[in-house]
Amino acid sequence: MFRIDLNKINVIILLFLLVVNFSVLADRKGVVKDIDGKSIPFASITWSQDSGVVADEEGHFSIPDTLKNQKIRVSAIGYETSVMDINDSTSIIKVQLSPNTTELTEVVVTGYIDPQSAKQSVYQVRTISKDIIKNRAAGNIQEVLNTELGIRFSQDNAIGSSNLEMMGMAGQNIKVLIDGVPMVGRQGVNNEININQIDVNQIERIEIVEGPMSVVYGADALAGVINIITKRPETSKFLLNARIQEESVGSDYQFAQGKGNHIRSIQSQWGLSEKWSFGLGYTNNAFGGWKGENIGRQFAWLPRNQHLANTQVNFNNNNVELNYSLDYLNETITSYGPENRVEVIDSEFLTKRWMHRLNGTYTFSPNVKTSVQAGFTNYTRETITKFTNIRTGEQGLATGPDSQAKLQYSGLNFRSTTYWKLANKLALSGGLDLNYEEGQGDRISENEGIADLAAFLSAEWKPTDKLSIRPGIRSTYNSAYTAPPIIPSVNGRFNITDALNFKFGYARGFRAPSIRELYFNFFDASHSIIGNPDLKAETSHSFNTSLAMDRKVSDKVKVESSLSGFYNDVKNQITYGISPEDPRLTSLFNLEEFKTGGLMIRNKILLGKSSLDLGMSRIGRFNRISSEIPALEPMLWSTEINSNLGIYLPFADSYLNVFYKWTGALPAFVLDTESESGARAVQMDGFHWMDFTFKKSLFGNLDFTVGVRNLLDIKNIQSNTGDGSAHSGGASRPVGYGRSYFIGMNYQLFK
Amino acid sequence: MKKYNYIVLPFVLASLGLGFSSCSENEDPIVEVPPVEEAFIEINGGGSTFPNMAFVDLSKEVQTAVRRDSWDLAFNSGSEFNVLINGTTGAMAYETEFTDFAQVGADLEQELRSAGSLDLTFSNLDGIKYVDNPSNPLAEFNVLGQAATSAQSAKVFVINRGESGAESKPWKKIKIYRSNNAYIIEHAEVNSNQITSVQISKDEDFNFVYFSFENGKVEVEPKKSEWDFVWTAGTSSTPFPQAFEGRLAYFFQDLTYHNIYGGVSAIQIMEANIPFDSFSVAELSGLELDSENRLVLGSNWRSGGGPNSEPNIRNDRYYIIKDKNGNHYKLRFLSLTSGGERGRPSLEYALVK
Repeated sequence: MFRIDLNKINVIILLFLLVVNFSVLADRKGVVKDIDGKSIPFASITWSQDSGVVADEEGHFSIPDTLKNQKIRVSAIGYETSVMDINDSTSIIKVQLSPNTTELTEVVVTGYIDPQSAKQSVYQVRTISKDIIKNRAAGNIQEVLNTELGIRFSQDNAIGSSNLEMMGMAGQNIKVLIDGVPMVGRQGVNNEININQIDVNQIERIEIVEGPMSVVYGADALAGVINIITKRPETSKFLLNARIQEESVGSDYQFAQGKGNHIRSIQSQWGLSEKWSFGLGYTNNAFGGWKGENIGRQFAWLPRNQHLANTQVNFNNNNVELNYSLDYLNETITSYGPENRVEVIDSEFLTKRWMHRLNGTYTFSPNVKTSVQAGFTNYTRETITKFTNIRTGEQGLATGPDSQAKLQYSGLNFRSTTYWKLANKLALSGGLDLNYEEGQGDRISENEGIADLAAFLSAEWKPTDKLSIRPGIRSTYNSAYTAPPIIPSVNGRFNITDALNFKFGYARGFRAPSIRELYFNFFDASHSIIGNPDLKAETSHSFNTSLAMDRKVSDKVKVESSLSGFYNDVKNQITYGISPEDPRLTSLFNLEEFKTGGLMIRNKILLGKSSLDLGMSRIGRFNRISSEIPALEPMLWSTEINSNLGIYLPFADSYLNVFYKWTGALPAFVLDTESESGARAVQMDGFHWMDFTFKKSLFGNLDFTVGVRNLLDIKNIQSNTGDGSAHSGGASRPVGYGRSYFIGMNYQLFK
Repeated sequence: MKKYNYIVLPFVLASLGLGFSSCSENEDPIVEVPPVEEAFIEINGGGSTFPNMAFVDLSKEVQTAVRRDSWDLAFNSGSEFNVLINGTTGAMAYETEFTDFAQVGADLEQELRSAGSLDLTFSNLDGIKYVDNPSNPLAEFNVLGQAATSAQSAKVFVINRGESGAESKPWKKIKIYRSNNAYIIEHAEVNSNQITSVQISKDEDFNFVYFSFENGKVEVEPKKSEWDFVWTAGTSSTPFPQAFEGRLAYFFQDLTYHNIYGGVSAIQIMEANIPFDSFSVAELSGLELDSENRLVLGSNWRSGGGPNSEPNIRNDRYYIIKDKNGNHYKLRFLSLTSGGERGRPSLEYALVK
């Protein structure tokens, strides 16, 4: 949920009113608070048509003593307006405002220069606010997104990473952005980003766009875009947020360090003046790992220690907005080798990432605006393997192949967009997008990097208030592969009534082959994998549509519902195959056809400060084997159901939250010559996930949260593959490390 | 860095071995060297590319390291005339229908290469047809079979000399037949008709006489009475339903064969049944040691690892090995690596008392 900060506009209007009424002596004090007892900043207090004051950041205000037996109106954005009598006996006027559910308007920025209301955007965007992140007491983004529909995670516990799947498509089709700038990970720019290498405490909101946004964001966005919007300082305000959280990992826990999950975070924002503001933050996530069924030294979930730091400088002038942000990640994942009577071998995976971002907007006139987003990321991942001889105590660096390895990626990204409002009903946005990516490492064959240069243009046509249509094209040149010459897209929105809107989108999506797919070579006794520098882009036709309704039933009750559908048809999907020139080699080819489609229903009921979300999705994935055996069904469907329940307990002035998702079984077929049809059905079992949190605020600036994560104690799910295979990696997949408990404290100070 | 170094050069061993065998066979009243009672050995496998076969003689505490790729064919020195291909490099052989070299050329090679028939890979589901039986090639199956009784009846075989952990070499075509109690091998590159012919005589002191296309007769395994097991890499098989006869030929690192043709037998014991430390002579009675399947140790003593686990020693088992002289040793592996590097496993053993 997000509120447009109209308070600022009110401040300006009422500051003006204040100036008008400057002569009035103010000596009657009052304070505006919400029903939690939290101060409401910048509420406006009026007593006549043109007289009023504005409360300060902490809700304090003063009115002239001369006001007696009069009514004052107290209003603030996001709250119901209150009218109250002032009489002689009132010494300090205490005003309590209750939230106004209809004012909660989500804003989104993905695909636009300026924030738009989510309803008015032509894109289907889901947002997850910092409040939800706070309510979940999340330590990483996975803990926020794991109950979202259409999103699945798969753990790669050998290296302590996790991969994301969205709308039935693998992580390499999901563009992960921070403030619009693409991330760089272990596989290069935008391929299978480990979303947990981001500081969850610096997030303002997460915007999830379903469907390709290739015209705006370029390659890799076949499934969708996850745009992580970071917090920005507010003008003339100092804000300090300190968080400490102690969490068990399954039943493992030690106080403050070692076993368990320990989160420490401090984030500060400082608005020096109207022009300058700064931000500084640091987070430490120390995850002690989980051994699971291992009885020895080995961990099923590897211990991980993350240091995340960020800083930002903002400059705002009449027509210039500039933001420079720098994020730093230092992550150490330790893999303890098995016991041995002589020698044990341990590995460390060290990841360092520097990400510089520059976001700027220049307003030439009310109708012309240019924004620039630039990013430079340096990513290194080192593997350090050490041996210890237990008999002699001798230690050293292991000498085997790949025992010591280093991988380095650099990504440079520059995007400039100009928005030009030609007429009331027509606006154009166009710009350039430049990306340069370079990868070096032990297994990457020599390459000159990949340069990608694109121009894009889109028009937004609003013939009436009800209708908005946004067609666009993008043209790309890429130094490493032949990019499709023109990518078209069209998105639109039609407001059938005030409460009901319809959106649709079509896009030609494409995914560029990554450095890894082009140049990664891996040879050992049982692997011969070679990159293919001749790969083409994967392309797709992607359709999506939605029908959304939101209705205010009464002052306190609001209902939101949406029904959406999508269909992706991917051609030339890059996949592993046997080289036709040399059957001993495995390489990558543009071979496969792939399709996904699905339906999603989401409902939300807001009841005062309580809410209930209920949703269901049914996502179909193409059955690849059906192209060989046409008798098999072409699409395989899986169901997901989620529900979030947030209950406000007025007697305790606290919140109870339950987050739940059922991830249905994932069916598939494998070839089996012994079976009659030539194929055998296999499936990955479904599972239920539930988190429970309880939040209590004290003194208006201290939040306590306790809760249970993974209440249903899920560890592994069975992957029912029937017969064993030569390279069977075990029939179970890790999902969680069992029921865990946490207690956290969040202190907020603002002046 | 290496604290334990037990590498003994082959010629040293050979001369020692000669000395001992002459002693025992002549039954001279010369003092017998008592068998080694306890030892720790780090196998000289040559490191992470595991280039060596290491033949170990427990009672003398010596090992002989020989490069896996130093030979191509092994000729049975026993009463039979089987010839083995070099499974330790993943060699494979294809029997043609021809007896005339001139009829086998580059066309057939190309056909075999594009079909992948002689590739030791997962995708070659028929691989098992073209390799020797891993557990007892002389008794069960060897792809070259018995040497033909005459030059005219000998079939031409195409040989991929093995590329598993070994450098790729040009393929060969060969014919093998008997000449009295010896073998004649004729070989050429597949697309050439320059035939080389070599006579190989049996040597009763050895299980096999080894042969290299480049160097002719070569020394590989010590005399049959002078080794108990060999650590190597080699072709074995793994269950795979889609493959021919449900088994897929697969190349294993850390494969260990005991010397079944030299009278050595072995059995695997689980720690849970009888702990290694308390295994004594009393436990020997009733144990049936295996002298038919050379894969008793095989790769069973270590786990291959998986997506979430590293390969490692299986600490829950050990082996009883009975050498030709009737000494029973209990033996367990200790480490798969040395200095963090594969290909130098270590083990310890003790005479069962």
